[in-house]
Parts: sequence; structure tokens; C-alpha cells
Amino acid sequence: MRLSDRVTGSFVATLGVLATYGGSQFPPVPGQDVGPSVFPMVIGIGLILCGLMIALGIGHSYEDEAEADLAAVQGPSQQAEPASPLGSRLWALLPPGLLLFYVYAVDRIGFVPTAALMIFASALAFGARLRVALPLAALAPIAIHLIFYKLLRVPLPPGLLPMPW
Amino acid sequence: MSSFTRRGVIASASTLLASSIVGIKPGFSQANYPSRPITLICPWGAGGGTDATARIIAQVMEQKLGQPVNVVNRTGGNGVVGHTAISTASPDGYTIGLLTVEIAMMHWQGLTTLTPKDYAPLALMNVDAPAIQVKADSPYKTINELADAIKAAPPGKLKASGTGQGGIWHLALVGWLQSLGLQPNHVAWVPSNGAAPGMQDLAAGGIDIVPCSLPEARPMIDAGRAKSLAILAAERNPQFPNVPTLNEQMGPHKSVGVWRGIAGPKGLPAEVQDKLVTVLKDVYESKEYKDFMSNRGFGTQWAEKAAFGQFMDESDKQMGEAMKAAGLAKA
Amino acid sequence: MNELLEAFRLVLAPDVLIAILLSSIYGLVVGSLPGLSATMATALLVPVTFYLSPIAAVASIIAASAMAIFSGDIPGCLLRIPGTPASAAYTDEAYAMTRNGQAEVALGAGLWFSALGGIAGTISLVVMAPVLAELALNFSTYEYFWLAFLGLMCATLVARSSPVKAIASMLIGLLVACIGMENPGGVPRFTFGVAELLGGIEPIPALVGVFAVSEVIRAIVSPEPPPLPARKFGRILAGQLALTRKYWRQMTRGNVVGIIIGVLPGAGADMAAWVSYAMSKRFSREPKKFGTGHPEGLVEAGASNNASLASGWVPALLFGIPGDTITAIAIGVLYMKGLNPGPTLFTERASSMYALYIIFILANIIMIPLGIMMIRAASSILRAPRAAIMPVILVCCAVGAFATGNNLFAVILVAVFGIIGYVMENNGFPVAAMVLGIVMGTMVEQSFVTSLIKSDGSLLPFFERPVSAVLAAMTISALLWPAFIWSWRRFRLRRQEHAL
Repeated sequence: MRLSDRVTGSFVATLGVLATYGGSQFPPVPGQDVGPSVFPMVIGIGLILCGLMIALGIGHSYEDEAEADLAAVQGPSQQAEPASPLGSRLWALLPPGLLLFYVYAVDRIGFVPTAALMIFASALAFGARLRVALPLAALAPIAIHLIFYKLLRVPLPPGLLPMPW
Repeated sequence: MSSFTRRGVIASASTLLASSIVGIKPGFSQANYPSRPITLICPWGAGGGTDATARIIAQVMEQKLGQPVNVVNRTGGNGVVGHTAISTASPDGYTIGLLTVEIAMMHWQGLTTLTPKDYAPLALMNVDAPAIQVKADSPYKTINELADAIKAAPPGKLKASGTGQGGIWHLALVGWLQSLGLQPNHVAWVPSNGAAPGMQDLAAGGIDIVPCSLPEARPMIDAGRAKSLAILAAERNPQFPNVPTLNEQMGPHKSVGVWRGIAGPKGLPAEVQDKLVTVLKDVYESKEYKDFMSNRGFGTQWAEKAAFGQFMDESDKQMGEAMKAAGLAKA
Repeated sequence: MNELLEAFRLVLAPDVLIAILLSSIYGLVVGSLPGLSATMATALLVPVTFYLSPIAAVASIIAASAMAIFSGDIPGCLLRIPGTPASAAYTDEAYAMTRNGQAEVALGAGLWFSALGGIAGTISLVVMAPVLAELALNFSTYEYFWLAFLGLMCATLVARSSPVKAIASMLIGLLVACIGMENPGGVPRFTFGVAELLGGIEPIPALVGVFAVSEVIRAIVSPEPPPLPARKFGRILAGQLALTRKYWRQMTRGNVVGIIIGVLPGAGADMAAWVSYAMSKRFSREPKKFGTGHPEGLVEAGASNNASLASGWVPALLFGIPGDTITAIAIGVLYMKGLNPGPTLFTERASSMYALYIIFILANIIMIPLGIMMIRAASSILRAPRAAIMPVILVCCAVGAFATGNNLFAVILVAVFGIIGYVMENNGFPVAAMVLGIVMGTMVEQSFVTSLIKSDGSLLPFFERPVSAVLAAMTISALLWPAFIWSWRRFRLRRQEHAL
């Protein structure tokens, strides 16, 4: 998802405006000349300036140059643009979505089932065959549980499928 | 906050579900409590003083109870997350936690709605009073000389540090300045990330005074870079017999201090409370605990159940007054 | 002399040796898992050290942290997912080398120069502890401000991108660092009523998100890249002697910078790696090659971050002041084991001190064979199908972030930063610069505000104190450098146009 510099620049500048405004709302602290509002405001102003410069295309030549240097060493970029932009954009939401699923599910159904579902879904999304995805989803969560729960003593919730250790 | 409590409810509901599947009904086996491992929540990260205290308590508890006691560090939100987790745990005695002085401070700043009243107090285990440190080659030899110098200096001339703005040692300083009849900001507060960086800046000559507990100041005192003028407590610390109390030098003064104690969520059954208090009393009197605390220079103080609750209420009131005076409390 | 013999006796005790070996393996494994950092490896060891003898406890911390800092390079090099913030500085470089078929050279350099750096750092600890401690004590907030500012300037040097976008990324990182109440005023900022945000955003979930999760996203939307040509993995240490001969200057400079930054409380290995990599590029004869798979920066940064790890123990042992997050945890363990920090540790318990030195050296020596085994084992990842690796990485990210504070909120942060990282990277905003901003943000603000309180609002001490003045000059010239280059190019361009 490559956006134009104009879009990203405006976004950065907007973020800067929000930071400056949000920063200006913080109350002063007794005994501190430079209060909690100063830093966010300085950052906000910096972001506005950077955003405008990006939108105007200042410094863009460096990017092309850097890419040219890289291409000179490695050959043309291996990361080809995906064929269907909209479809791929939706795929991009799968990994963060699975992480949120983890947050939602892990306390309810336990670590091993949650992790198994995550691995199964993402393996299929990567185009793995069932022959690979199923054993991976069955075994990897148990191995991870063993390492983190037993060796690192991370309190992973047992849920529906408590492990014998 | 609403989302927060909701998550707590969900968490405890799911624990309930989980335990019913495994076949243990909550509240069931109180007669032979504890019948499975206990979790001790520590609201601060691994490796710190609070963590170490939690771990020594857990270790001795384990010996006395015959069941594992696992310390789980639940950090985040400057202690809010861990303290919330203790108060929202299911009250079956299998999840208890270590409360720290912050529970009596955070709600005054509007950071949480939790107060000491939201817990079933079990036992107060440790109290540390602040002491006043200055640079080793500072001209002030006694606390009285320092007090006179502070009074003589224009407001804001002298600087002190040792914790963040509104932290416990800041409040201790504010309380002392008020008892001298001075404004809370007569000595300017330089916020720092804790006592160790504050002591470093004292040694580097950046600031004049560090109020913090003696164990925190010890490395610099031992290194000959700083000296302690007085401890703001009723009695001297047996680990630092040469440091006089403020009472000896300047008359009575009741200061805020840090404390740590064990508590459970509200609604803990009476039998479970009794069992835990008995065990914690054993821990408190054990050689391991005493040795550990005296080695680190931590002060020990015991209070159980209602008495601990009363101690927290007093601490809470004192903090509220100090924070309002310093202009740090919300509303 | 007796004390030295006693120290050897302490270290050669079977329980200590076993502790060193096991915690080394543990550190290597944890550090190499995406989503788990050296700090976490150390934190998770604390409960275990409870049951060990004092020397064995400290030995396990030393060994595990040294190994984890090195092995943080492994996922960075093979998968472009740095294991620790320290490796984030040169991940792109190492990954580029892997794409060029030089994975073993990159990893070998990480291993070899880490071990040498660790030994150099230890020597500095042995020989110069009092001098270095004095240096650390003379650093006041004024100096820290410039140091942190200088660290931030590295953002533009490290990234292969437009300097404007690099600065914008860094500023976004600084803005993220503003979240929470860990600021000089103790005022909650940008928390939107979420209690979990009061403590601010830790660098680890952010790092895991912007590197690991965004890498998974990138993999899912792009077709499988052509597999690397199947070939035998070369000898890992083969080229290192040649590199050492070629870049001994860079290595020494990395060691010195690492030792100095490590000894300053609060800076630590992360900053050492960044500054060294940036310095290497700045002073290199071939700066254009940086970022395309050029070992020079790896040599210097690798030499630097492990050197800083050892020297970070100086203020910790002498004054109980943590040099970084790892020594902060280590101090807790020292106290727990009755080895209370302070100068008496060096005089009354000299044998324990010597034992610590020996452990440092030992850990850095066994790092080489263990590291080689680890690299060999990890390199099989390059041959494994992407569909099997990426799902497991995703679960590791969730569990690793959760384990930082046993708090599920960290997992949400990982997801959010995954999207942010993906979008930024795709539009030429270097995410490493944002991580730098998150890591350094609090230090910049804290040192600036506290300095002003101490000087009663005067800016003069920022330039008056000798060390401060030098750092100020360095910062300002680094600040003006890109503008100078830009106008110089403009000038040349115009001359060329004239000539035409």
C-alpha cells in the first residue's frame, strides 16, 4: 500500500496539529517552568514542518538515490507490488486481527487452543496445505507452551486444555 | 475505567469456568485450603525491591503451606494494572497480592478509583521511613543546620530530588517543609526516575538534598559520596544506628513513608483469611524473612487484618493531605 | 593473589559452571526468539536465581544477558526481525547481507565482534572501574540532554531514506514516548482514560510490532520470494580474522564508544549500537555501501553493544545505579544474594569481584562455540517454508509481548504497531528511527526539564560545562550537516547547469 508523499505528508502534519493542540491542553505543574505541554508541542510543530516538507517533495531525491544504490548491489527489488491491491490490503489485516483474537480468546479457551487456531488460520493464509497446517497447529502451540510456561514461568492461561506439566 | 472493570469481571468469570471444568468449585475445599498452587501478584517488575520482597514472602509461605506460591509480576499503568488485578481476582484465596503505598496515592491524582478499601487486608510486612541525605562534603552537619539553611534561602534556591513529581519522597519533603512553616515549593523539586538517579545527581553536585529511604541511599553513603542527616521516623533504623531521628533533633514529626503488605480481593472467606494470616505471621517471624530484610536494610513492621486496614486508611488520609498541600491532588 | 585463587575456586565450583552453561544456552534461545529481548531474558531468570548460590546467581545473569544481546542479531539477520532494540540499528544491513548470500559472514561478525567487545568491556571494568565511575558521576542532566539529543540525530544517519522522513519517524517515536505519566510533571498525557497507558508504551511491544508483525504482514501480501540459492552454509568464523584486520580501527572505536556509553547510567547497549553504527557510516570511506550489505557498520556496532554491556556494570557495582535495564535487574539480584553494591564489594569481598570478572571473560569465550552451534541451528530457518515459519512467529510475538508484564494490553499494542510499522515502511518512513525515538524520548525530556529546574530556567549551563559544551558542539554540527550537504549539492548542481 504505497501512498503518495502528498497523502503521507498531510497525515504527518495533521498528527502534528493534533499533538500541538493536545499538548497545549495539559495543566502546568507548580515549580516547573517547562511544563508537560512543552514537549508534545515542540514535537507537534516538528511534525507539522516535516509533514509539509514531505508533502512538497523535499528530500525525495534521497529516497530514489538510496533505492538506486540498493538496486545496484542487489539487483531489482524483490518485493514486487501485489497483483490485487484491495484483496491484499485485506490480507494485511489478518496478522493484527489474529493478535486481537488472541487477546479476546486466550483467557476464555486457554492458550493452546487459541494458539492452534491462530497458527492454523495464518498457515492457510500463507498457502500451506492441510498436510502441513494441521500438524503445525497441533504441535507448535504445545512446544511454545512448554518453553514459556515451564521454562520461563510465564503464566499462560490453561483454559479448556490444561497441559500435563 | 469501565472497560477495565469489565475485563476483570470477564477474567474472573473465565477462571470460574475453567475451574468448574477441572472440577474444583470455588469456595469448595476451604477446609483443606490450600489444595492447589497460590498466585501472588506483584504490581511491579522483576528485579526491584518490591519484587524481591514478594519473592522472599512467597518462598517462605511455600515452605509453611506445602503448596507452591508463584509470584506473577503484573506491571503496567504505573502499578494500576497490578493493583486492579489483585482487587478483581476471584476471592477464593488462590490469588492474593502485594499492595504498595501507591494504592494510597493514585486515587488522589484521579488515576484510578481503587482505594485501600477495595481489598481484604491480610498483613502489613514492611515500612520504610524517609531519611534526609546531603552530599558528603556539604557544609550542613546536622539536620538543624540544614533546616536553618533552607529557611534562610530564598524559595526555589535549594533543589531536591529522589523520585518523580508527586512521588512518595516528594510528599515526605513537602510534609517536612510544612512542619517548618514553609511553603511546599520552598525547596524546588527536581523529578527523577527513582532514588538511585537522584543520589547520583546529589553526588554529581546537581542538587542539594535527597529525601529517600536509607536502603536506597546506602550505596552512595558507603561510597563516601553522601551522608544521611536524619531519619523521619519514631525510632532509629537498627541497620543505620548512627543516623539520628528527626524527633531527637527537632521534636515530633510524623512523616509519610513507603510500606508493603499482603492483601486479597474483597470477599475473601474468613477461614481463608485466618489461614493466610497465620502463615504470614510465621513468615514475618521466620529467620529467612528477618535476615533478608535486615540484609537489604528494609524495615519490618507487622499489622494484621483490621489493624492493617486501619494503617492503610491512615496512610491514605496522610497522603491525601500532603498531595493537596503540594497541589498534586485532583479536585 | 590469594583472592584471585579464591575467585577461581568460586567460579570453578560445579554449580557455577553448570549455571553459566545452562543460562548461556537459555540466553541464546530467548534472545533469538522474535519478540523476546535480552532484558526479558534477564527478568525471567530472576525467580530461578532465587534458588542459586550468590556467585551462580550473578553468573547466570551475566551469561544470559551477554548471549541474548548477541543472539538478538540472529532473527534480525535471517528474517529482518531484530530480537532486541540494540540490534534494530543494523538489522537492515544484516538482512541485506543474508539476501546477498552472506548470512554466515553477517552472523559471524555479530558473534566474533560481540565476544571481542565483551572482553574489551570486561577489561575496562577490571582496569578502569574507578575512573569510569568518576566519569559517570560527572555526567549531570545537562550532559545527558545533549547525549540523548545526539542519539536522536543518529536516526537520519542510520536510515536509507529521505532525512525528512527519518526525522518525521523519529518525532512520531518521541510522541509515542510522551504517552503516559512517566514525564517530569507526573501528568498523564495522551492516555485517553486507558489505565494501561499510564505507565507509557514500553519499547519492546512497539519493537515487536513494527518489525516482526509488519514483516509477517509484508510476507502475507507479497508473493513468496524466490528461495535463496541452495548452497552450503560457509564457515562462520572464516572471514572474521580478515575483517578484524581490515576494520580494526572501527572495532576499537566501537569498543571505546560502547564502554563510554555503557558506563553512563540510563544509556546502555541500545544507544551504543545506534551511535556506533551511525559513527561508522559517518566516518566511513564508503558510506554509500551502508545498508546494502556492507559489514563495516556491523563490526563497529557489534563491538560496541557488548562492550557497553560489561561497562554498564561499573556504576551498578560501585553505586547501585543501573546502567541500563539489564543491570537494573542485576542490582536486584545482587541485593537478594547479599552482594550489596558499593565500594566495599571491591575491598571486603574482592574475591567475589574477581569471580565476576572471570565469569564475564568466560561467558564471552564460550559465546563463540555456543554461538556457532546456535547460528547453524537457526540457519535452517532459511530453508523452511515461509508458511510454517510466519505463523509460529506471530504466536511468539503474542506470547513474548504478554510476558513483558503478564499483561494482555501489550499484545494489543503489538497489533497496533504492526499496522503502523507496515504502513510507515511501505511509504519510506524508516521504522528503526521511530523505535529510536521511543527509546530515547523520556530521557530527552527528563534531562531537559530537570536541567532547567536546576539552573532556575537558564540555558547557560547547557553550554558552559566543559563536557556539555563539547557534546553541544557535536550535536549542533550533526544537526547542520544534512542542511550543509543539501545546499552543497544544490550549489554543485547549479554549477553543472551553468557549465552546460
